[in-house]
Amino acid sequence: MSLATAQGAEFASRRWSARSLWALALLTLPVSALCALGFGRFAVPPVDVLRILLANVVPIEPTWPGTAERVVELIRLPRVLSAMIAGAALGLTGAALQGIFRNPLVGPQIIGVTSGAAFGGALAIFLFGTVLTLIGFAFLFGLLAVAIVYALARVDGQAQVLTLVLAGVVVSAAFSALISLLTYLADPNDTLAAIVYWLMGSFATASYSSLGVLASATVAGSVLLWFLRFRINVLSLGDEEATALGVLVERSRWLILAAVALAVAGIVSVAGIVGWVGLVVPHIARMIVGPDHRVLLPASAIIGAVYLLMIDTVARTATPAEIPLGILTALIGAPVFAVMLRRLHLRGWGRA
Amino acid sequence: MPRRYNRLLLPFFLGLATAWPALADEITFTDQFGRDVSLPSLAERLATIPIPAASMAVAVTGTPEPIVAMHRLSQTAIVEGILGEIFPGLRDIPSNIVGEGFMPNVEALLTVDPDLVLQWGTRGPDIVQPLEAAGFTVATLQYGSEEDAAQWIAMLGTALGQEDRAAMILDWRFGALDTMQARAAGIAAEDRPRTLYFLRYLSSLRVAGEGTYNDFWIELGGGDNVADEGFQGFNDVNAEQIIAWDPEVIFLNGFEEALTPDDVYSNPLFADISAVTNRRVYKLPIGGYRWDPPNQESPLTWAWVASLLHPDRPVAGLRDDISARYEMLYGQAPDDQEIDAILRVDINGVSAAYEQFLR
Repeated sequence: MSLATAQGAEFASRRWSARSLWALALLTLPVSALCALGFGRFAVPPVDVLRILLANVVPIEPTWPGTAERVVELIRLPRVLSAMIAGAALGLTGAALQGIFRNPLVGPQIIGVTSGAAFGGALAIFLFGTVLTLIGFAFLFGLLAVAIVYALARVDGQAQVLTLVLAGVVVSAAFSALISLLTYLADPNDTLAAIVYWLMGSFATASYSSLGVLASATVAGSVLLWFLRFRINVLSLGDEEATALGVLVERSRWLILAAVALAVAGIVSVAGIVGWVGLVVPHIARMIVGPDHRVLLPASAIIGAVYLLMIDTVARTATPAEIPLGILTALIGAPVFAVMLRRLHLRGWGRA
Repeated sequence: MPRRYNRLLLPFFLGLATAWPALADEITFTDQFGRDVSLPSLAERLATIPIPAASMAVAVTGTPEPIVAMHRLSQTAIVEGILGEIFPGLRDIPSNIVGEGFMPNVEALLTVDPDLVLQWGTRGPDIVQPLEAAGFTVATLQYGSEEDAAQWIAMLGTALGQEDRAAMILDWRFGALDTMQARAAGIAAEDRPRTLYFLRYLSSLRVAGEGTYNDFWIELGGGDNVADEGFQGFNDVNAEQIIAWDPEVIFLNGFEEALTPDDVYSNPLFADISAVTNRRVYKLPIGGYRWDPPNQESPLTWAWVASLLHPDRPVAGLRDDISARYEMLYGQAPDDQEIDAILRVDINGVSAAYEQFLR
């Protein structure tokens, strides 16, 4: 009897500490956003940043210059939010993909979604010269890429994980070639620069309208993934076990891939190709919270948001010139990933 | 029998021909990378791969005749600008001789059979070797500075047998440079408006730093390029950096076709910067070539820039100067409407101090 109550108390306290940990993790989001808002090439005192933000909800006599308000509200805020949302979605989609493919090397870039979406976006710039049609094209071609991958990988009504990944590599390569073709054909005075810049990946042009596009696509995709978290768990056990547990493997995988394509298309359409985040972040998260996707997904989202926010803050503040995001994510991502790979190998992921 | 005899002697005669009588015709010069270039006679069929070289060659000869092929973008500038109207034939000259990254298309070049090919020397041997392997005579060029541009003109004069015209163009250029430098020397540092040049505005915000030709003409015109402290060449920056610089005058590139000063004026992010509140945003003109990079019309660029940076002490008579110099360079003076088009009066007219250029 006494043993049972002791166990109950321990269980309760563990629950309680888990809750407080989650609260703490969630709290890092607004805190890091506030810190990032205080940094920038244009000097705004941190107190003014706070007051400018508070002025939106409570009446405060504006003692700051109008320029400072414009910088904080029109430049920094949409950019900070964009980086966080994109980072969260990249972490989440990466975790989901690594789960359903049971492979730690999988990220949105490997299954072809990114290249497909990037080609769609580049095509939109090439054909129409504007970025208005970009999201639609990016989404369409992101989905198309996944559909081709799936069609290629299906043998006898089944898609093996290995063939799926290989098909993804093939489709990625094909869309990359098409992107090269577009840059070859594009007008070097005009659209070429636009395509190349956009592909390199940057939040420098973030605005509330692009934030709206990003948020709606990624939130829709992420919510879908959240609802599918149990199935991701089951799929991560392997196809046979999943079937034995009564999960419709093919349909579930399709749904998850569509959700990933939606989120990734949203990210690509506003920020171009942001590599490495979707690959590295789930590993960090898995080290902290373990492999259960019910906790891994939100943890990846939170870590991804903070991670990409930090990288983007460095990109926009370190030098007068913007540092391309892709360079930083790779520079930080590759060594982090290398270390992680060693440690994971020792824990058995390598033998999975 | 005599035929056979002649044949045997032919190499001998040929050797004599190149060694003796042709010596007077033979052209030798050193290109910008110290390579010796020798032509058996004056170049009559010129292929230009560097983009500004085509219209420069037209100016040096005063006619489009020696040009047999050019870069696709040389032609774009010619069609967009005024050379396509003065010399309609330039619109139809083959422009398929270069691929991506200035890689020559040797077979396309063989069909136009140039006796001299101009190529970049700054981008590695890979784009020069195929030309030499195919037997073309190649002169390599270097890009960027005012001295480089002057050397192009001199070299084209030598190769095309137009030394007099080249000297005339260079006299004008050096004279204008002296005048502008004397003028700039008289402008104190605190009187120099903070100035920024956008190589790109619509796709990203790419500005010209130290060592660019745009930096050169901003300083020459009496401005202070805010982007030349701390970085070389062209760089992408963010909107916040531009607000921090607070430029008083902004020059927009002439490359992005859809770009107008209104794009800057109507951008809510830039509503507070001096160049916008004082309406001092200008798009670079396009004449015989785009005015941003060094070209045969650069003295006109300098005058235009200087007059906009210091409207209180303008370089007077730009329109008349354009007429006179186009007459000199291309044998034809533009009419008033054409000058308006060169100066982009339709889009720049909304900006301050542009009335000085109106007829």
